Amino acid sequence: MYGRSGAELVRELTFDDHQIRRFNHDLFNKVLGEIQEHYYQVSKIMTLLQEENPSGQIMHVDGNYSGALIHHQSLLRNKRCLLSYLYNRAQRIQRLRWQLGAVLPEDVRDLLHPSEKEFLKSYSDILGSYMTTVDLDLTVDATPPKDPYIKIRVLQHIGEVLLGDQTTSLSRNSIHFMKRTEAEPLISQGLVEEFNG
Amino acid sequence: MSKYYDLNDILVEDEVVSTVFHHKANGVGYLDPGSEDDNVEKGAVVELPLWLAQDLSRRKIIQVNLPPCFGAKVRKEVQADPACVNLRSKCPYFYEMGCKLADITGDPSLGGFLLSTLRGRYRDILCKALTSTITSTPKFMTLLTQEETHLFEAGRDSMRTFQKWRLQGPQLERAPILGRKRR
Repeated sequence: MYGRSGAELVRELTFDDHQIRRFNHDLFNKVLGEIQEHYYQVSKIMTLLQEENPSGQIMHVDGNYSGALIHHQSLLRNKRCLLSYLYNRAQRIQRLRWQLGAVLPEDVRDLLHPSEKEFLKSYSDILGSYMTTVDLDLTVDATPPKDPYIKIRVLQHIGEVLLGDQTTSLSRNSIHFMKRTEAEPLISQGLVEEFNG
Repeated sequence: MSKYYDLNDILVEDEVVSTVFHHKANGVGYLDPGSEDDNVEKGAVVELPLWLAQDLSRRKIIQVNLPPCFGAKVRKEVQADPACVNLRSKCPYFYEMGCKLADITGDPSLGGFLLSTLRGRYRDILCKALTSTITSTPKFMTLLTQEETHLFEAGRDSMRTFQKWRLQGPQLERAPILGRKRR
């Protein structure tokens, strides 16, 4: 009651600005339960009002009127908290698509609700088909490059990768000189780092 | 409506204010711990969250009392030295809440008070934000309200980005979500 659980759900998102946490099923369902309860109370009071006053016109403010109003407002408030929770998570998921590419690492995927996974997939599809149409990878070169080539150091063993028209073996701690557009996704996935030395 | 999804706006409205009921309300006994049946009586003094108080006072069902953090005592403290008052402990969303309350309570002096408070504190915040070291959180952060913390972080981050640009550090970074696990 009071919309406390809803606020708690929203507060959870403000602890860390851009991270994603596990979808909070328990609290989410608790808020849904509260909405049900408020709805039940509103309908109960509305039936009472109808019996007292069959014309349905509210002539003056009385106890039932304000009671119903409070329940109605609580219901709307809880709805706002839930929608805001989903909306802000969806925003973060969209950002993940830009940072990590179409396929998320397993441990990040596990944090999402099944319908959020579906959302990510559809979003990724739309973005992918748009980028195919304009024939440009929009996720790279977010900051204007000074040089089309970049020196990188490999942080994890990756193995044989097709770069340009030849395959290169990216083994741990080796240093490579490659096209910036090819390096960028690898850097944001944390597999290699930019090397200035 | 523009702030419908805004996380901070939702949390501001979760703050509690003390209100007086002008009308009886049935079926909402959970609001008033002192009520014996399931109703809130006329004249009862009840603590309500701001989101509920806003709507009910617009319909003249309740009257909102100004919370103590905007009262005469705090105003005197702030007048004496704005920068040293611990506003966070009084109300974490001091300014946003003040703006909303000015609307509901119709207190004509509240707006001016908020403005002079911010004016008195802003210089200090800006100065500290631009000179703060990268990692440590300064002690005075505990005095700041949420809004001021955002101002401070914005200032600090822009300074940090400027430094990075000037020194030509690495421009490509891995996604922050992966930062939790170290290699």
